[in-house]
Amino acid sequence: MNIKDNYLKNRKNIFFSLNKDIQNHREKLINIFENDSFDRKNNESLKNINLKNFIDFNYKYLIPEETTVINNNQENNYSIVSVNGQCSSFKDDKIEITKISDEDYNDFSENNTIEKNDHFVNLNSLFLNSGFKIIIKKNNNIKIKISNIVTDDDLTIFQKNNIICEEGSSLNLIEEYENKNNATSNILNVIKLEKNSQLYHYLIQDNSPNFNLIITSHSSCKKNSTYNQKVYNFSEGYVRNFHYSELIETNSETNLQGIFFLKNNNTSNNKTFVKHLAEDCKSNQVYKGILNDRSKATYFSNTQVDQVAQKTEGYQLSKGILLSDNASYFSKPELKIYADDVKCNHGSTIGPIDENAIFYLRSRGMSKIAATKILISSFINEELSSIDNEQMSEIIQKKLVRYLSKVK
Amino acid sequence: MNSETLNTLDSYSKNKYKYGFVTEIDEEKPKKGLNEDIIKFISLKKNEPEWMLEWRLKAFSKWKKMKEPKWANLNFPEIDYQDIYYYSAPKGFDKKPKDLSEVDPKLIETYNKLGIPLEEQKVLAGVAVDVVFDSVSVATTYKGELEKLGIIFCSIGEAIQKHPEKIKKYLGSVIPAGDHSFSALNSAVFTDGSFVYIPEGVKCPMELSTYFRINAENTGQFERTLIIADKGSYVSYLEGCTAPKRDDNQLHAANVELIALEDAEIKYSTVQNWYPGDEDGKGGIYNFVTKRGLCAGKNSKISWTQVETGSAITWKYPSCILKGDNSIGEFYSVAITNNFQQADTGTKMTHIGKNTKSKIISKGISLGKSQNTYRGEVSFLRKADKARNYTQCDSLLVGNKCGAHTVPYIDSKNNTAVIEHEASTSKINEDQLYYCRQRGLSHEEAVSLIVNGFCKQVLQELPMEFAVEAQKLVSISLEGSVG
Repeated sequence: MNIKDNYLKNRKNIFFSLNKDIQNHREKLINIFENDSFDRKNNESLKNINLKNFIDFNYKYLIPEETTVINNNQENNYSIVSVNGQCSSFKDDKIEITKISDEDYNDFSENNTIEKNDHFVNLNSLFLNSGFKIIIKKNNNIKIKISNIVTDDDLTIFQKNNIICEEGSSLNLIEEYENKNNATSNILNVIKLEKNSQLYHYLIQDNSPNFNLIITSHSSCKKNSTYNQKVYNFSEGYVRNFHYSELIETNSETNLQGIFFLKNNNTSNNKTFVKHLAEDCKSNQVYKGILNDRSKATYFSNTQVDQVAQKTEGYQLSKGILLSDNASYFSKPELKIYADDVKCNHGSTIGPIDENAIFYLRSRGMSKIAATKILISSFINEELSSIDNEQMSEIIQKKLVRYLSKVK
Repeated sequence: MNSETLNTLDSYSKNKYKYGFVTEIDEEKPKKGLNEDIIKFISLKKNEPEWMLEWRLKAFSKWKKMKEPKWANLNFPEIDYQDIYYYSAPKGFDKKPKDLSEVDPKLIETYNKLGIPLEEQKVLAGVAVDVVFDSVSVATTYKGELEKLGIIFCSIGEAIQKHPEKIKKYLGSVIPAGDHSFSALNSAVFTDGSFVYIPEGVKCPMELSTYFRINAENTGQFERTLIIADKGSYVSYLEGCTAPKRDDNQLHAANVELIALEDAEIKYSTVQNWYPGDEDGKGGIYNFVTKRGLCAGKNSKISWTQVETGSAITWKYPSCILKGDNSIGEFYSVAITNNFQQADTGTKMTHIGKNTKSKIISKGISLGKSQNTYRGEVSFLRKADKARNYTQCDSLLVGNKCGAHTVPYIDSKNNTAVIEHEASTSKINEDQLYYCRQRGLSHEEAVSLIVNGFCKQVLQELPMEFAVEAQKLVSISLEGSVG
């Protein structure tokens, strides 16, 4: 079914469809889909993807029956179970969670900064059917774990979350995506960090082969704030991680890090985009990928430094290991710099596992497979050892062992 | 800083673009505009055989269906292809002069002004020069001696007459006419250029060189160069470009094809100094050049070196297709942009054969209000076992109104191939500046010295004659923009 029919048929189930402004906006988006030629050459969001699956789909959404639980088992420690992208409202003196359906539509329409050319973000705006808003109140130090669960097969979830860290707050957010269904989840996170706030954002992705996960995030950092994101992609299904970050006030910092482990016919598309819009800001983008069998990956990274953003430090690094003849990796690390007093660099490497290192290990009596496994673990060791959350670190280690067991 | 550079700086501060003069010479031009008639006219003027005209018309019909490539980070008004003269020749060129004494003395004078005294160079430097003035190849020096070795060095027009079998075989084999709109345009209307053939096992004893100059107003220059290095041969080829100062933008869309067969090596060096426009960004050359080399045979090597200081717009990606096993591609580039210049330049290395190697060194310097982009693609195809690439691109920013951008595309489909890419962007190191100033250099001299050092890695790849000229050019390009 095409986009227009889908939309017209399901309009009443989609959020904010009664609002005139949003209706107009959505009609424009439908026009974009109807008139676009889907030129893969000039649209990064289309590379290596079978777009047809995502455009000709059957819209299906179920409002979850059971109310989801928010546990405050320990002090400052919350866990949220989000079912089909929704969770119930909650409020105490430290955090506030509201369903997006109870929100003002203004909160919804506020995504002008995200790239317009991205069809997946447009789909999200069109079919929005779930989401929530989290506010961390001033000067609180909070830990939240969110488990994202999809209940039925063939669901199409279009979710939008707003996360706001108020002044001086600190949030440690772990999001888990472990789904076994045959479904598609399209999630847009809009994150705002006020003055002196901090957010450590971990995303663990481990879905079955038939689950498609599309995550787009957009963060903006005000004065002295820091946004750290770490993405671990162990999924067997398609995953798209597109993360945009804007440094809008001085002395803010953003670190976007990701590791993906691919095998079989899997594909993964990744993008990080950092915009420096103020002085004295720092950014760091590191992505590492391990590709086995016939897997394919793309990584686009982009650092843009505005004319006013003097004293910028911006770093990018992308590394890929190809374990098989049929794997392929495409990387495009881009720098766009309009200010002169900056330190920016990028590095990118793609290659096999170092044969000399294998030889060294084998000459010490190790089998080839064991040597390969050791070298893969050491390739990502730097990223894994920097995880300061013990529980997280254990989860990741387990998944790594599982991935390595399939390496031949 | 030696006194020579200081003197040059001094003399250029009065007249920044010294090649901006116009030679008053009777020109023969057909009407403006692009259509089949003009192509037939060009073909007739060149006395070309039927098959060549057909080839041109085919390219033209392809061009009509094509749009300009849009990937570059450039801003310019749309080019009106109907407002350009596609052919312009000094009068009386229907018959080519046999040697220098028959060439119009005014032309000879022009080249003397440009600093390439044909007579002198012939004797002193031992460089064989082919000079292209607007659309016509003026004179080729040193022909006789090259002929003894079996080397063919002549204008492409002459080659079409005398060596049709080679032209038929190789012309358009590396850059097909339908590759993109500028290559189609060039294939349809190319007027002159150079043709080089080095026979098997011959090492060309001297550097071959061409000098391009656009003289007439509203003229486009579309030259076509084809270099073939047969098995085991070697050739080094130099190319220089200038144009007079004009308020209009002029179009230059050249195609250069290199073919290196087994064990052959081609070294291609360019110093591009087309008129860049004035301080307000008025005028200047639009430089849309397609350069591509094919390492067809085993162990062949192609090396591109370019110093890009001129042109209002530079759109140029000298690339290598590494088809033969063990073949090598190299790309060394310095691009300096000042005032309102825009440059989008880089390379494309396509690894097809086994054990192929490529190396890319690119240095970009942006000053004034210019935009400088490196855009490069490195791709390893499935069969490129053990292929290797190293890429380094550094950018230097002087002033806070300019931009420096790096856009690499890296694609690996082979798990034994290794690719490394690194890039950095920064301003001139304050410590280095301080050190130079402390030793008595003025701010401008210090910057010039540091920039020259920054480019050294590339400049040292240039042949001797060019290296000196290029170093001066670098200093001149910096003039007036620092301090």
